[in-house]
Amino acid sequence: MTAAVIFTKKEWLESWRTHRFLILTVVFLIFGILSPLMAKLLPALLKGGLGGVKIAVPTPTSLDSWTQYYKNMTQMGIYVFALMLGGYVSQEIQQGTLVNLVTKGLPRWSVIIGKAFVGLLLWFWCVGSAFVMTWAYTAYYFPDTRSPHVVLAFVPLVIFGFFFLSVLVLGSILASNNYGGLLFTVVVVALLYMARMVKGWQHFNPISLISDNMKILVGADALTKLWPAMVTAVVLALGLFWAAIKVLDQKKL
Amino acid sequence: MSILTLQHVSKSFGSKHVLRDLNLTVPTGSIYGFVGENGAGKTTTMKLILGLDRADSGDIEVAGEQVRFGETATNRQTGYLPDVPAFYGYMTATEYLRMCGQLTGLRGTALASRVTAMLKRVGLASASHRIGGFSRGMRQRLGIAQALLTMPKLLICDEPTSALDPQGRTEFLDLLASLRGQTTILFSTHILSDVERICDHVGILHQGRLQVSASLADLKQQYAKPQVRLTFETAVQAKQAATLLMPLQHHNHVQQVTQSAGEVAVAYAGIYAAAADRILTALLAVRLVPLTFSQEEANLDQIFMEVVQ
Repeated sequence: MTAAVIFTKKEWLESWRTHRFLILTVVFLIFGILSPLMAKLLPALLKGGLGGVKIAVPTPTSLDSWTQYYKNMTQMGIYVFALMLGGYVSQEIQQGTLVNLVTKGLPRWSVIIGKAFVGLLLWFWCVGSAFVMTWAYTAYYFPDTRSPHVVLAFVPLVIFGFFFLSVLVLGSILASNNYGGLLFTVVVVALLYMARMVKGWQHFNPISLISDNMKILVGADALTKLWPAMVTAVVLALGLFWAAIKVLDQKKL
Repeated sequence: MSILTLQHVSKSFGSKHVLRDLNLTVPTGSIYGFVGENGAGKTTTMKLILGLDRADSGDIEVAGEQVRFGETATNRQTGYLPDVPAFYGYMTATEYLRMCGQLTGLRGTALASRVTAMLKRVGLASASHRIGGFSRGMRQRLGIAQALLTMPKLLICDEPTSALDPQGRTEFLDLLASLRGQTTILFSTHILSDVERICDHVGILHQGRLQVSASLADLKQQYAKPQVRLTFETAVQAKQAATLLMPLQHHNHVQQVTQSAGEVAVAYAGIYAAAADRILTALLAVRLVPLTFSQEEANLDQIFMEVVQ
């Protein structure tokens, strides 16, 4: 276990010194600030853009702000995250940086554990800081009571991140280069979106965790419906991390 | 007593057989030169010894303990310097060595003093900037520092000198030579002069098999023939001389005659004076006078060429 702690420390130092942490923080903070701002400014922008044509634009509420947040997180945020972590494992194998450590007695599984742990911390920090930012600005711009379950709606997004990270890590090990890992992740996400068309599977599909957040925001009942998807996501993620360990065990270094 | 033995080890990549029934024994305390042309399978052999790759068949033992693919306990006994050592460019040399030391179980003051001593030994004590800005030579020195950090019984170096400049090479070889008596070194290379400088044992890998393995002195005695080298003013003269000496081959001390451009090399057996007499008599009889006439002792290059032919 000590080896896993040593490797986790190294992973953390890497994220810090290669500016991965900084870049992700800045990008997600921008998302966090931009979400309520866009909701606030969109009606004014629409009016201005139509050049005097009168249309009825409803007054924005906190719901619009949160809609923007989940859109930004799930349509851009996760891909920025994937880009920053695309070569998470493949780079170490390609460059041979693991050779010195493995021959010093670093168990291969601790590579995956360390990377999963730091990756998860990064995800939580990214979506969390953006969440706090959006929450604060939403409360400031839209002091209404239309979004009662702010935290509950956020929970599935965090869990999806755990699943997403496991896909990213496995993809990064299977592929021999950075882009192969990204491609694998994009293909898996696309397949999950397609699987949403099968009605009976919807409650189990991890992609529901980033599709139904707005429903939870207004009615906590929606979260209970997502239990199967949350359990599926966690079980799948654990399975994928286990598979990643097994694949790395067999890799020539 | 041998620290490393490989028995009937085979390894293929697809249809390419890299190692075929390789047998190798490295005596404890030796500096073993593991020689072979590029692509002969030296790196593959080393990766198998370290459990970084899986052998198709055969047994590998380090200090009497079996090597297993993946996590092998035998790595406690070994230090490894890869051909191009890869580090984390965002760390300093001290940070990197500390991490390596921690992985091997070193802690506290023991770790700190070992790291400081190693950095001093390889001449990196004053390098406080990050590894990303290190030159090739500095990386190689950091590589040897991490390999020696645990004071291993067996040090495995994969072509450590091929990328260094002459000064760096000399320094590196001196460092390796200074370890004689402290640790056994398996040292792969295709630079034969490096082997002659520091190794006491040599193994020549060719077509996936160890063609010879012996002490350098035995090898020279067994394989090498001393020779006389003659240079002529023109290639025509050299050719004429070679034609004249050819009939003497395999008797009268003269073993083999080879010619290229203006040079003729005559391998001989027995006493130099007798061989020289035969050659000069034959040449002077037709008034063929060489520009230079010199005697050369056998070197590893000749042995290598002879073995791989």
